Amino acid sequence: MSSYHGKVDSLGLSFFGSMTASISHEIKNALAIINENAGLLGDLVALSEKGRPLDPERLQTISDSIRRRVQGADDIVRRLNRFAHSANQPVVTTGIRDILACTVALSERLATMKGVRLLIAAGEEIEVQTLPFVLENLLWICLKNIFLLAGEGQQVVLGAVREESDVVVTLHCTPEIPVEQLETTVATEGQPLIFFLRMQVRADPHNGRLCLHMPLRFIE
Amino acid sequence: MAVTVLLIDDDREFLDILAERLTIRGMEVTSAASGRAALDLVRAARFNVIVLDLQMPEMDGLQVLERLVALDPAQRIILLTGHATVSRGVHAMKLGAADVLEKPVDIRELVERIKTVASAPRGVGANGQAGQPSGPLQKGRGQGLLQALRGLFKSGR
Repeated sequence: MSSYHGKVDSLGLSFFGSMTASISHEIKNALAIINENAGLLGDLVALSEKGRPLDPERLQTISDSIRRRVQGADDIVRRLNRFAHSANQPVVTTGIRDILACTVALSERLATMKGVRLLIAAGEEIEVQTLPFVLENLLWICLKNIFLLAGEGQQVVLGAVREESDVVVTLHCTPEIPVEQLETTVATEGQPLIFFLRMQVRADPHNGRLCLHMPLRFIE
Repeated sequence: MAVTVLLIDDDREFLDILAERLTIRGMEVTSAASGRAALDLVRAARFNVIVLDLQMPEMDGLQVLERLVALDPAQRIILLTGHATVSRGVHAMKLGAADVLEKPVDIRELVERIKTVASAPRGVGANGQAGQPSGPLQKGRGQGLLQALRGLFKSGR
C-alpha cells in the first residue's frame, strides 16, 4: 500500500506542476495586457503633451480593459488558491459537479490550445465522499490523453450519474476519439489513483464514452 | 523608411494595443491572430521583422516559426512569450528565431530589439550572430544565443 501512496504522491506532484505552470501562464497573459494598457496610457499622455488631444472615450476603453483583466487575473488566482488547498485536503463530502467544474476550469486553457471544447452536462448534483485532489488528478489524466488523441474541433462533455452505491463519471467524446484506446492509457497511467480511489475505468464505445465508476463513500 | 512588423498573437486585445504602441513609435504594423492568418500574410507580403507569440491554439508558435522559416529561411523573427524556458528558447533559436523576449515586455526593449534585428543583414539575429534556420547549432552562434537567453537564465529558468 505504501508504494501506492508514493505513486499517488508522485502523480499528484506532476499534476500540481502542470496545473500551476498553466495557471501562471494565464496570469502572465493578464499582466501583459495590463502592462500594454498602462503603457498606452503613458503614450497617450506623452502625445497630448505634444498637442494631440486626449480622447476621453479612448481613456475609458483602456480603463475598462484594465479593470476587466484585473478581474480576470483575480479569478485565476482564486482558482489557483482553491486548487492549492485541495492538495492537502482530507477526505471530504462534496458535490461531484463541483469537482468536474474545477477540473474543467483548470484544464480549459490547455484544451483551448489543443482546439478541444470542454463542457459539463446538465444534471443533478451528487454528493460523494472523496479526496478531491486525487480525483481531479485522475480526471486530468483522462483529459490530457484525450487532448493527445483528439484533433482540432473535438468536444468532451463531462457528466455524472448515480448507479446504486456508485457514481459514474462520464467523459462523452466526439466519435473521432477512440475511447477503447483512451481506457487502456488511462488505466495504465492512472492505475495508482484508480486503486487508491477504488475506481474502475471502462470504455463504452457504443456511446462514445469513458466511464469512471467510483463508490459514493470513500473506502480507506 | 518605416520598419515593417508583423505581430502574431491569439489575444486580439494584446495585438491591437501593441500594434498601436509600435505605430506611435513609427513602425508600420500588421497583425495576425493565428498562425494560419500569419502564414497567409507572409505569402503575400514581406516584413522586416515578425514578432511571434510562442503559445497559441491550433498551431503553436514553434510550428508557426518552422513554417515561416520554411517560407523564407532569412526571415527575422522575434519570439514573444508568456513563459520562455531555456530549453524552448534554445529550440526556437535553433529553428531560426533571431531573439526571444518574455511578456510582459518593456516597449523600449521590444522596439530596440526590433530595430536591431531589422537593421542586421537578413538571417542575422539581435545578437549579431547569423544562423541557418535549422540543423545543429553552429559554432560561433552559441555565444549569441546565450546572450539572448541571458534574461531567461537570470529569471531562474
